[in-house]
Amino acid sequence: MTSIHTDVQIGICGSAGDGTIAVGDILKRAMARAGYRVIAFDEYPAEIRGFGKCVARTRITTEQVYSMKPKTDVLVSLNDAHAIPHAEEVRDFGAVIYDSAPITMIDEGWHISGHLNPGQLPYGLPMREISEQATGSSRSRNIVALGFVAGLYQLPRQAFIDAIAAKFQTKAAEVTQSNVAAFNAGYDNGAEIYRFDKVEVGPPARRTRVHDSTMMTGNAAVVRGCLDAGIETFFGYPITPATSIMERLAVEMPKHGARLLQTEDEISAISATVGAGFAGARAATATSGPGFALMSEMMGLGVMAEVPAVVFVSQRGGPSTGMPTKTEQADLNIAVFGGHGDAKRIVLAPTNVEGCWRCAGRAFEMAEAYQTPVVVLLDLYLSNRYETVVFPNKNPFVRDAWKRPTQDNANEPYRRFELTADGISPRAVPGDPHGIHTATGLEHNEFGRPNDLSAMHFQMTEKRHEKLNAALKHPGITIYKRFGDTGEVDVGLLAWGSTFGETLEAMLLARAEGIRCAAMKVVMLSPLPVKPIKRFLKDCKEVIVPELNYEGQFANLVSGAVGRDVIRFNRVTGKPMAVNEILDTIRSAAGKRKLRKSAA
Amino acid sequence: MHHVIIGNGVAGSHAASVLRERDPGSQITIISAGALLFYNRYDLPDLFRGRCDWVDYLVYPPAFYEENKIKLRRKSLVTEVDTNKRTLTLAHREVVTYDQLLVATGGVAYVPERLLDSIPLMHGFNNFRVAMAMREALPDGGVVIMLGGDALGLDLARTLIETNYKVVVVAGDRTFWPHELTQETRSSYLQALEKMHLDVVDGKQVDRVEQSNGTGPARRVVFDDGSDLTGDVVLPFYGLAPSVDFMSHAGIDIERGVLVNPQLQTTRDDIWAAGDVCQIWSPEHNTYRFYYGWKNVKTMGDVAARNMTGDDVTFTTAVDEILQLKPDGTIYSPFWEYD
Amino acid sequence: MSPEHPIYLEDKLEEIRGSGRLGYRSKSLPTWCPGCGYYSMTEGVTWALNEIGLRNEDVVIVSGIGCASRFPFFMETYGFHTLHGRTLPVATGIKVANDKLTVVVVGGDGDGFAIGGGHIPHVARRNVDITYLLFDNGIYGLTKGQVSPTSAIGFTTSTSPFENHDQPLNPLMMLLSYGASWVGQAYAGQPGHLAEMIRAAIKHRGFSYLHILSPCVTFDKTDRTYRNLDFSVRNLPEDHDHSNRLAAIREATKVDRPAVGLYYVENRPTLSDTLDEVMIRAGGKPAEQAGAG
Repeated sequence: MTSIHTDVQIGICGSAGDGTIAVGDILKRAMARAGYRVIAFDEYPAEIRGFGKCVARTRITTEQVYSMKPKTDVLVSLNDAHAIPHAEEVRDFGAVIYDSAPITMIDEGWHISGHLNPGQLPYGLPMREISEQATGSSRSRNIVALGFVAGLYQLPRQAFIDAIAAKFQTKAAEVTQSNVAAFNAGYDNGAEIYRFDKVEVGPPARRTRVHDSTMMTGNAAVVRGCLDAGIETFFGYPITPATSIMERLAVEMPKHGARLLQTEDEISAISATVGAGFAGARAATATSGPGFALMSEMMGLGVMAEVPAVVFVSQRGGPSTGMPTKTEQADLNIAVFGGHGDAKRIVLAPTNVEGCWRCAGRAFEMAEAYQTPVVVLLDLYLSNRYETVVFPNKNPFVRDAWKRPTQDNANEPYRRFELTADGISPRAVPGDPHGIHTATGLEHNEFGRPNDLSAMHFQMTEKRHEKLNAALKHPGITIYKRFGDTGEVDVGLLAWGSTFGETLEAMLLARAEGIRCAAMKVVMLSPLPVKPIKRFLKDCKEVIVPELNYEGQFANLVSGAVGRDVIRFNRVTGKPMAVNEILDTIRSAAGKRKLRKSAA
Repeated sequence: MHHVIIGNGVAGSHAASVLRERDPGSQITIISAGALLFYNRYDLPDLFRGRCDWVDYLVYPPAFYEENKIKLRRKSLVTEVDTNKRTLTLAHREVVTYDQLLVATGGVAYVPERLLDSIPLMHGFNNFRVAMAMREALPDGGVVIMLGGDALGLDLARTLIETNYKVVVVAGDRTFWPHELTQETRSSYLQALEKMHLDVVDGKQVDRVEQSNGTGPARRVVFDDGSDLTGDVVLPFYGLAPSVDFMSHAGIDIERGVLVNPQLQTTRDDIWAAGDVCQIWSPEHNTYRFYYGWKNVKTMGDVAARNMTGDDVTFTTAVDEILQLKPDGTIYSPFWEYD
Repeated sequence: MSPEHPIYLEDKLEEIRGSGRLGYRSKSLPTWCPGCGYYSMTEGVTWALNEIGLRNEDVVIVSGIGCASRFPFFMETYGFHTLHGRTLPVATGIKVANDKLTVVVVGGDGDGFAIGGGHIPHVARRNVDITYLLFDNGIYGLTKGQVSPTSAIGFTTSTSPFENHDQPLNPLMMLLSYGASWVGQAYAGQPGHLAEMIRAAIKHRGFSYLHILSPCVTFDKTDRTYRNLDFSVRNLPEDHDHSNRLAAIREATKVDRPAVGLYYVENRPTLSDTLDEVMIRAGGKPAEQAGAG
């Protein structure tokens, strides 16, 4: 069998009522079942009800990829008015699939067939009619369209039928039957069509067993990480795009004997989280920028009183209410620096869905081990995008990761904030008769008694900072990693968060063009792994920092830490970074380098 | 000014270029039933020489349409023309308005009524998709049965012979269409076919096409005398029928094709026609005539586009002789040439 | 309220030492002004804990900011001195994390009803099983005398130099309408009754709110003094029906003659009960909780 390296991106666009996201969901799950790698990102309307636009984009590949493609191979329109502006996303010789027999007359210019670029291939399909014939109702036209795509590209039929059955398993059996009928009708239609487009789907590289590979969003991975780490309490307040973390936990936590409470605001959420952390529970909250701003003061108490707490922050466009359904990476500053006083905390920023799970799990260990709030910084793109993730068989997360008081000096008064070599004091929680103490937001001595002498404040401040260095060597998590060419390179890319995916793809493309380059992802933003970053930068003639904020918050962080300026590549479009734009920046940096060389 | 051209063949595409050149500010829309950009159908026999990617048949690259601001609406079948409102209705229920309309829909393969039931068992060759399907159905060295054997079919036939297939022409009234023959010239032309290594069956009426049984060739052509002929594919080459159905209620004069004056204008002064779809008034013959072949059709596109933009030119044929007997005894057609 | 019989210091010390109450006092000496009502409250809390017989390690005192903030330091129990206005959500977190703990929140009128006012209704409606001892002296004492949400109209302070013009809140009415399951009032000038009320509040299963009237002996020499309070404070009528929320609200409206006693009590599921119910409905079972063991 000739091995076609599959790399197909399918976009489905329709209104909220068209079942757009639902079929996108079936598509990605079916392809993951069939053994492909899948990455997907859905766009939702900001409006709550009605006919707002939804776009479900799914990239299906043989090998793991790191980002969405800037151009889509196949676009399915379930609603032409919404899909018309997206027609230009389809590449030359890509396909556009639409309803060729709408039920009502269409005003001139409102059918998508009139908006295709000459290079795109149109496929008209009487979706509604086929749905009516197959199921007696026009409701399944989305499934018909999905079936058509599957038939057109000869995608594995059974995987889709299984995914449909899984999707409707809680509904009556007729619902599944009718949807399968609609799917098959679409499939047969698609299979008969002579294809002119240049979209090829090959077989999956290897049969990945279904149960090994799971399709999930970043937020779902966070939830799985929380559960695997044995989360005991969660307090949250709804906010896009973090809400789905709480929604999923609300279903899952009670099953595991854990408690979740929706609080009256974010201040209450973080307060209760810190309270629960003080009481010894694995506690977390999740929010987005505006909510995190409200949490700043309590974060300071967590630092001062050395209380473990995990805070998931999924960034969206800001400031203020900003763009709640658009992605951005502009909360690095508040995550790392937000709050008053010398309030250093651990900040982890995963770069992919698997990383969301890992960072979530390790965040609980770190919070406990280093007795501090830990921020896990996501963004809307990462929170909502789907990837296939392969989890290890064994749950790697450690429970009870904290240093407890020993019984050796039980007769001595307990020093909750004992000054130790590594800055980490034995921690007791309520219920322990030997560890009675009062934790406080006031500066305090080793016993926790208020104390504002200069020497004490210095020692305690030092303790609170230096103890975090151990996090740089925390086991079981990659806090930075270099990819691409080793040794000296012409262009180095330094990226964080979801943007690393696009950065890595751009770097690989640049290498394929013969540019010597490398990329480093930085997962731990605080404390920053300064030494490895310095070593990497030393190897790079030019350094580009691509990120989704205006001024270059990560670039500022890195420049400040290493004392070297970098090329900032910033975009604030509300959308993920475009790979080709990073690639252009790499080319121009490499070109500049060459020019300088030839001038010298 | 919105010029709408129905049809994406030689006439329509060439007319669009001329319109753009002569009227740079106008809006130009080509409406096509097919999925592809303008490609060279005359080259389709090359499918048998291994040229199988449709992209290789494109006359213009996609960028041409963008650069010339020519909007090409594909997979859009016109179902109705309202000449009073100046609107077209497309099959997907969208209405398109025009200021000037050029009908260049060409023709489809004509199939005699007695063979209509056999259509599903016959192949075609008048667009890339069906041509490709025919090629895929034809095994190496297989037998092609051409019913009729018009000028288009003979062009394909000579390529098939060169590429080691066997071709049987079932001759009848429309063999050599649109070339008109007398009884004597007909027999010399039939002999010429044999010189070209085609097999000829003459004097028999085809009754039907059947799926043949067993392991042999896939098709059986049954004649009215009960005899039969087997082959791998069967193609009707009985000439073209103009595609005018959608115009039937438009209120313009139609005979077999759309009737136009030598300026290619129909009986409505905002509608023109060009290519295989139109019958042009020939003062010389005192009748409406069809003219075929790349060069004629292209000229029609040119004439129509000029007249649509204020010129007053008349169509004169460049090539009026369809088939010629070459000194070596084979047949040649200037229609098989294009530029 | 002069005692009928003289109390001799030595006798009193002996009684206190013998009672075991000092086991709930830390070695830190209180920093409040002499005569402050917080002494009565400290006294009441230690007495109540001792009476109930709670183990020191099973009690958490949560304070915010204000004169009450240091309260936990004077207690030999777990304590969490938190942020201004955030005592209730922190206490909720502690209780959700570990049901076995007895959580007592101490705070003043500014901490509770100004900056922290948004949390009270939610703790009340959820019936979090904690005790909220609200010390109302109608002034910000720690920051040296500014107007508070319970200051009287016409009260002059450093930030209301031309007299306070805002209507004071009626905390009892608020709590009663928020759905608190135990609402009572006590007066720091009646330490014996206060202690009894604290004990009852702690023993109540559910959210108990005890409003404690007290003077600020340092920054309020005119309005809410022991003299004035001694004169105005009354007992709830003997026939007050503390299962009748409307009757309780009616009593709470009589702000000129504040009554001490139990205004309202009801038994209903606590937040912990609710969360356990959720677990059962989800098909899980309540797990071993944090810190237990």
